[in-house]
Amino acid sequence: MSADKPSTALTSRQQVAVVVLAAALVGAVLAPSVYAATNEPSDTVAVVEIEGPVNTALADDVESELADIRANESVGAVVLKLDTPGGAPVASERMYKAVQRTSDDMTVIASVQSISASGGYYAMAPADEIYVLPTSTVGSIGLNAPAPRASSTALGPSGPDKAGSNPTQAWAEQQTLADTFINAMMAERSDEFEMPREEVAKADTYLGTEAVQNGFADEIGSLNEAIHAAATEEELGEYTVDTRETGQEFGIPFLVRTDTGIVAIHANDPGYADVKPMPSTYVYTPAVPHVDTIERFSETDVRTGGAASTERGTPGNETARLSGGVGA
Amino acid sequence: MTRVAPLAAAFVVTLAAVTGGAAIAGYVTADGAAPAPAIQNDHYQNPDLIANDTPGQATVEMDASAGSQTVLVDPGVEPATARPVLPFSLIGLGGGGVADRDIRPLANALIENGHEVGVYVPDPDQQRRPVRPGAEETTQLGERLAEADAFVTFRTDYEPDELDAIESFVESGGHVVLATEPDAAYSQPGAASLDATLDVTTESGYVYNMEENDLNYQRVYAEATGDASLTEGVDRAVFPSATPVGTPAGGADVLRPIEGSELSTTRAPTDAPLLVRNDEVVMIGDSDFLSPDNARRADNDALIGNLADFLVTNDRTPPGDGGSTGPTQPGPGQPPTNGTAG
Repeated sequence: MSADKPSTALTSRQQVAVVVLAAALVGAVLAPSVYAATNEPSDTVAVVEIEGPVNTALADDVESELADIRANESVGAVVLKLDTPGGAPVASERMYKAVQRTSDDMTVIASVQSISASGGYYAMAPADEIYVLPTSTVGSIGLNAPAPRASSTALGPSGPDKAGSNPTQAWAEQQTLADTFINAMMAERSDEFEMPREEVAKADTYLGTEAVQNGFADEIGSLNEAIHAAATEEELGEYTVDTRETGQEFGIPFLVRTDTGIVAIHANDPGYADVKPMPSTYVYTPAVPHVDTIERFSETDVRTGGAASTERGTPGNETARLSGGVGA
Repeated sequence: MTRVAPLAAAFVVTLAAVTGGAAIAGYVTADGAAPAPAIQNDHYQNPDLIANDTPGQATVEMDASAGSQTVLVDPGVEPATARPVLPFSLIGLGGGGVADRDIRPLANALIENGHEVGVYVPDPDQQRRPVRPGAEETTQLGERLAEADAFVTFRTDYEPDELDAIESFVESGGHVVLATEPDAAYSQPGAASLDATLDVTTESGYVYNMEENDLNYQRVYAEATGDASLTEGVDRAVFPSATPVGTPAGGADVLRPIEGSELSTTRAPTDAPLLVRNDEVVMIGDSDFLSPDNARRADNDALIGNLADFLVTNDRTPPGDGGSTGPTQPGPGQPPTNGTAG
């Protein structure tokens, strides 16, 4: 019995050794993925899109994307892809703070497409570098607001300032709103600006070619060049690009200019609840369409559509309307 | 078979040791991902950032001891645009022009000192009448000016016969204050004719100051350049939207924008006057400075008082100035014909 055992069966020691070896092999297979899961290499450049009017929805998304990027060790650098005329002051400030914190952690490069003005400029100012294309538009550092007017006495509110203050108080508030923005830009880029504060506060916009001369931008370059510069700065070597879209589709809410101010419209077919006035904005007004322009399109739609049912027409109708609304 | 359990245990322990070790190694060598602390932005916490919103006080006082004078005010209601619409729009609500409220500080000072203030609002029906051939070439404005000693206008688009009436009014010693706006050249034709009649000039564009201003770059400060009755007690006045004005006469009664002011059209520094006096005429490149809100800014109240003095200190004696006719009522309607008339 004991003579044939050694030739056919393993000793208990051997059995343990085999099992341990098998476990080690399986472990060796799993270990890299486990290791990678807990210690991802920084080999990704995240591209965060900041496009359309600056509003709460956009700020929500940008804040959350940048927070995610800061917590994600696989992201080594960030490029902001900007195309915005600005918008709401608070939303601009929120993005500014988010970019500022991210810029503390890693390289952040702003890449301006056609425009990054006013609130858009505010948001990208803490970036390490601002890339523009030769005909991009940047600048417009200031507040857009109508002149405060005296109003007739409101009867009923519990205090004199409850239903609107006097014009001087409103002027002072507007000045404070403007200075908040201008001071922040001076804090971020006064070393780059080739002009004094008073000149910056004129809120002029500049084309990319001029912006790299006067310090409103740092480099002429495309999005890809900005991505490459960010990767190079962080010594990423081989890297992947992760594009993160923000804001809602179709840029809703979109901004519309009226004769008295700017309004945000929160629906394509707006009702009363979908239109909100924006008394004070960090926006580059010429980039915001006037309501008359939009009404003109709507009139064409009504004329050519005839029946009410065509209001919610097919994509074909949409095209016809945009191209002049002929026929159908 | 009884050895299966220890063998399985050995397998699990080894696997756990290897993968656990990998996990621990990963965590140990990973960079910390703790939330970054809040960044202090000193530029948001600068106390100077908050603009002073105290409205200020206004005390409009007059020094002139002239007897009761009649001051006619043309707030700038345009009959051409007002004609087709309801008469309610003629009282200065909507459309261009200056509302009654905006001239209150000046009007109050005049009234408190025993003078009479009339507001000229053209009657759209009567406006057509002088055009008829053979009729007496008297305009509504001419009729009102004939009874007045001084004239304050915020309008520039007068008809030729109205300009004649204004010219003869000035020639007879009547004092005129013309307050214009930077956009008058854009929205109203005929400003040059009035300027020529009164011998004053206006430049295009507005004056602004990025360095020192009253809560907005367009609300510029202006300083007196010499000692003169119009600028007495006025260290600085605020003009909320000012255009440079001039007069060939020169003189000391001028207010010029403070250093750092620039002209919108040239973007070049300017010290061109914002208020000038040409004998009987005072030209001001702004019409908002005498509103109640702006009267409280800087020394605007003193300037308004001086303007009131200027208006009532004139050499004119209206032809039919026999006795008091009572304050002239604004509006196109006829005064009630009960008793005292005649």
